[in-house]
Amino acid sequence: MSKRVLVVEDQEDNRQILRDLLANAGYEMIEAQNGEEALIAVQSQNPDLILMDIQLPVLDGYEATRRIKAQPDLRHIPIIVVTSYALSGDEERARAAGCDAYVAKPYSARRLLETINRYLT
Amino acid sequence: MDLTGAFSTGFAVNLEADPTVFLGQRPLAAVSRASGKGASVKVGPGSFELRASLRTKLLAAFLVIQVLLVSVGVIGLLSLREADQRANQVVALQHKIEAYRQMQHDTLRELYGVSTALAFPNETTLAVALRQINQFGYDLDRVSFVAKDEVALLNQLRQEYARFIAVVSHIVDLIHNGRTAEANRSELAELGPLADKLERLTNQLVNRAEADMVAGVDVSRQTYAKSQILVGAVALASFVLTLVLGHAISRSVINPVGVIHHGLNRIAAGDFTQRIAVPNRDELGELAAHVNSTCEELQQLYRSLEEASRHKSQFLANMSHELRTPLNAILGFSELLLDGIYGNPPEKMRSAVERIQRNGRHLLGLINDVLDLSKIEAGQLRLSLADYSVEELVSAVYTSVEPLAAEKNLDLCIAVPAGLPPARGDERRLAQALFNLVGNAIKFTDAGQVRIEVEAKEDSYIFSVRDTGPGVDEAEQTKIFQEFQQVDNSITKAKGGAGLGLAIVKRIVEMHGGRIWIESRLGHGATFSFLVPARLEQQAMQA
Repeated sequence: MSKRVLVVEDQEDNRQILRDLLANAGYEMIEAQNGEEALIAVQSQNPDLILMDIQLPVLDGYEATRRIKAQPDLRHIPIIVVTSYALSGDEERARAAGCDAYVAKPYSARRLLETINRYLT
Repeated sequence: MDLTGAFSTGFAVNLEADPTVFLGQRPLAAVSRASGKGASVKVGPGSFELRASLRTKLLAAFLVIQVLLVSVGVIGLLSLREADQRANQVVALQHKIEAYRQMQHDTLRELYGVSTALAFPNETTLAVALRQINQFGYDLDRVSFVAKDEVALLNQLRQEYARFIAVVSHIVDLIHNGRTAEANRSELAELGPLADKLERLTNQLVNRAEADMVAGVDVSRQTYAKSQILVGAVALASFVLTLVLGHAISRSVINPVGVIHHGLNRIAAGDFTQRIAVPNRDELGELAAHVNSTCEELQQLYRSLEEASRHKSQFLANMSHELRTPLNAILGFSELLLDGIYGNPPEKMRSAVERIQRNGRHLLGLINDVLDLSKIEAGQLRLSLADYSVEELVSAVYTSVEPLAAEKNLDLCIAVPAGLPPARGDERRLAQALFNLVGNAIKFTDAGQVRIEVEAKEDSYIFSVRDTGPGVDEAEQTKIFQEFQQVDNSITKAKGGAGLGLAIVKRIVEMHGGRIWIESRLGHGATFSFLVPARLEQQAMQA
């Protein structure tokens, strides 16, 4: 059975890139467009890994990460945060929110896949 | 360290900043001018000071002192005149007394002359007695001249002398006629008592004059004592008054000048919040008020400039983020295409997609530069200080630029002394600075070598990038560190670029409290160097 990756991303184009990338790599992709949808999807779909964008409407990536990591039964799911601004301490903020790794936008699809593979194999 | 990620992916805008901020702004000019003119200037609450100009104050003070000096002089002159008058009076009294004494003396001589004539009646003695009579005329004239005030006594004296002279004449006549016995009787009976009476009268006059003299000396002594006290008191008072006035004037001048001086220093230091409080209602008060209103205008101007600059930077930050979003998609899809995720592309298509990728990355680099610079200018960029290894930093930069050098067949080498102690600073930013310099060197050098050197010097490290490129004209060397400045020649035009790289390097170096410079000669390559403190601590960091 293929591993399931929850992609939390509000931009359709970016989701399409990840769809193509993950499908090609043999992963199943679940989608959420904001932090709140992400929280629901985590509960119902039980993904193996979460790819979390930071700038999201309704509930941002930091807060969503924090809430997921606050739940004992979900804490084990690795979260890779995608920061769009590698400035002014957002890496530290991402770490503080409890993420397992982060990549900076614009990411190289190849490198992102390497990071994902590290957690799922 | 993933340098390609750090630089090519760059630094996006902080989206938490409200993107509507820029659009919702009021027009700046309206803000700065509206309140600028209405700035009322406080003159301080305690306006107890006279409403007089500085000139009036000084004039008044000098006038008061002048009046005091003149009055001291006038009082002295008056006292002198009085003393002179007293002295004249005393002299006059002296003359009086002398005249009286002369009179007494002449009377005695007359008596003596008459007695001699009686004892030895001959022509000689008689002539002496008669000649002596004439003397009384002079004496009386003299007395009436020096003692005009003694009219009553003088008249009496004159009458008595007339009688005395008459008696003497009579006695001389008698002696002349040989009637000596009769003359003798007449002398005893009339002349003696008359002479006594005359002596009493003149004694009276002398006593009176002497009493007057004593009184005059007394008065003049008192007057002297009084005028001494008066002159002393006035002199002392004017001295005290001069001190008080001098102090008051200098205080009302020097204090405000000091206050204004400090105020101007504060303004020069960029503190526009303070206002000068000078309670003077004179030129200095006006000056202070003027300084205050100027300060207010400067403050307004400064604020609006700051605001404008902030808006500009915010706008650039927002813009570059907006530009990055679609660019991300372009780069993402083209990478997937190249990776063959949509099937292996034919060779021609692969070449075209590679061009899309390359140009996209270049565009992204430019956008990142604009974003970086605007963030630095907006003060949003903070250094994150940590320990780092200079050797690792240089080799990371080396790794990331090596393909670029290889592409142009350039000899890229590094010279870093071994065993440097760990440095402290913002490693990523310093790497970015070095990366920009090396990137530029590779970009502008068509053949030869690009060399990265590090030199440890006291408490600093000097990073240098030496190339064998075209070099930089001396006149251009000062301009190239400014934003949007590129050496204006055909080579740079051909190479492209926004001219932001060096400006960013300069800002990063300056934020570390360091400096950057260039050594170059046209046609002989260039060496860009920057010096940063080996260990930058938080408190030494420039905002």
